[in-house]
Amino acid sequence: MKWTGDLAHFPYPFKDSTYRYSNNSIPMKQPLSIEVTPSYKKEMLLKRKLLSDHPERCYQSLLHSMTGQWEIVELVIDHLVSKYPQDFSVKKENNSWIFTNKILDEKIEFIFGEKNSLPCEPLFFISQHVQEDLIYMRQRDDNLYLDAGQLCFPANWSLAFNIGMKFKSIHHPIPGFKEEGLDQRILQFLMRLEAGTPWERLNWSLMAGDRLDTSLETFDQWGRLRKQVTSENAGELVHIRVEVQKLFRLPRTNSILFSIHTHLLALEQLATNSEWVQQFYEILSELPAHIIEYKGISNYKKAVLEYLEKQLQQVKTL
Amino acid sequence: MSIEAVFIKGKRKYIFCSDEYGSRVLSSVFEHVKKEKLAYEWYHFSAEKREWLEEFLSKQKMGTFLYVVLPYSELYTVQMMAKRIGFSSDETQYIGYGEKWISIFCCRCHELNRAEEQQTELTCHQCRLKLEVSDHYSELHHAFLGYPATG
Repeated sequence: MKWTGDLAHFPYPFKDSTYRYSNNSIPMKQPLSIEVTPSYKKEMLLKRKLLSDHPERCYQSLLHSMTGQWEIVELVIDHLVSKYPQDFSVKKENNSWIFTNKILDEKIEFIFGEKNSLPCEPLFFISQHVQEDLIYMRQRDDNLYLDAGQLCFPANWSLAFNIGMKFKSIHHPIPGFKEEGLDQRILQFLMRLEAGTPWERLNWSLMAGDRLDTSLETFDQWGRLRKQVTSENAGELVHIRVEVQKLFRLPRTNSILFSIHTHLLALEQLATNSEWVQQFYEILSELPAHIIEYKGISNYKKAVLEYLEKQLQQVKTL
Repeated sequence: MSIEAVFIKGKRKYIFCSDEYGSRVLSSVFEHVKKEKLAYEWYHFSAEKREWLEEFLSKQKMGTFLYVVLPYSELYTVQMMAKRIGFSSDETQYIGYGEKWISIFCCRCHELNRAEEQQTELTCHQCRLKLEVSDHYSELHHAFLGYPATG
């Protein structure tokens, strides 16, 4: 699903001409867990289809996550209503809530805190109204555990496998993450997260194709495109995939909401900004082998670099 | 995981959970407990009775010590169960026997496949995807993640 908005609003992830794994979180200027973009309707349709066709792949929860799930419902609804009052509203009378999604023309009545008042779990319910994937991390025993999540647009990982896992175990497959002590530093950072002071970061990768749903479960469907990239088709076929990741402390359960909004931009769109092309070319040329490998770029790095070189030459001859 | 049961003194009660073979492994500790007239209870394990074991263990009070001797194929399930209930590693002894194997979680269909410890590749018996065994481990599934084989 390609970027259809104004390019100036694309969350371009780079600041320097090199890239390494780091805790690049920054305090949020606008403390909102969600964002509604022009592709809202399309993405909600896709998300709901995935949730309905592949519930096990896209949704997981442990029993004790219920209170935290309700906290997420409250936070997300409050953010939707305060940021987009023309599109969302909520009427609260004691615990009786009526949530209205005007974009999708839906009205949902439920008793806040009462699971049976909804046809599904609270996290499942609210995730059907936002483009973000929503991950619930519970803090206990000096650690963070993935206790529930709705994940339709993962960057090649499996929620079904990772459910119940500790923070460090989740990140175990990332080369160098443990060796460089990053896992411990980020865990400490997350455990010190305070309510009312949310943080955000951008994460990026490259992918062949424009699927938002790049789950590990479907790798055999989308992964093969990596072998079809050439310097001629890279502009259209290859996309930079940027995740806007937001971290909110949920004070009642002392847990964390981790929201992920995924955006895709074709290289040919990126190429319309000459500074971006130059910077991305430098980053990709210099990127260490273990990051290239983990991000799945090995097969087509050369083709992408050739494509970017061509774009740079065109800029110079203009 | 120990290979020989060791008597741990000073406990309020001793639970012995095993099958027939396991009861022989536990005999010396059991004799010791009997001789000292300590409180104990046997749980004769079978796969069909696995659900009742959870209920049985949940009812035990603080100060109970748990011995488990079972084939590896059952041991991990009981180990996870006891951990979930609240038995700490200081309150338990686990002894496995028989063929040692690991579980591989298929990344495509989520089926758990049985593999030998040193195995690096296998085909998922449910969806037939060729899998490469990784070292990414889930305590909840008690399994290693199988990625799509690239070779």
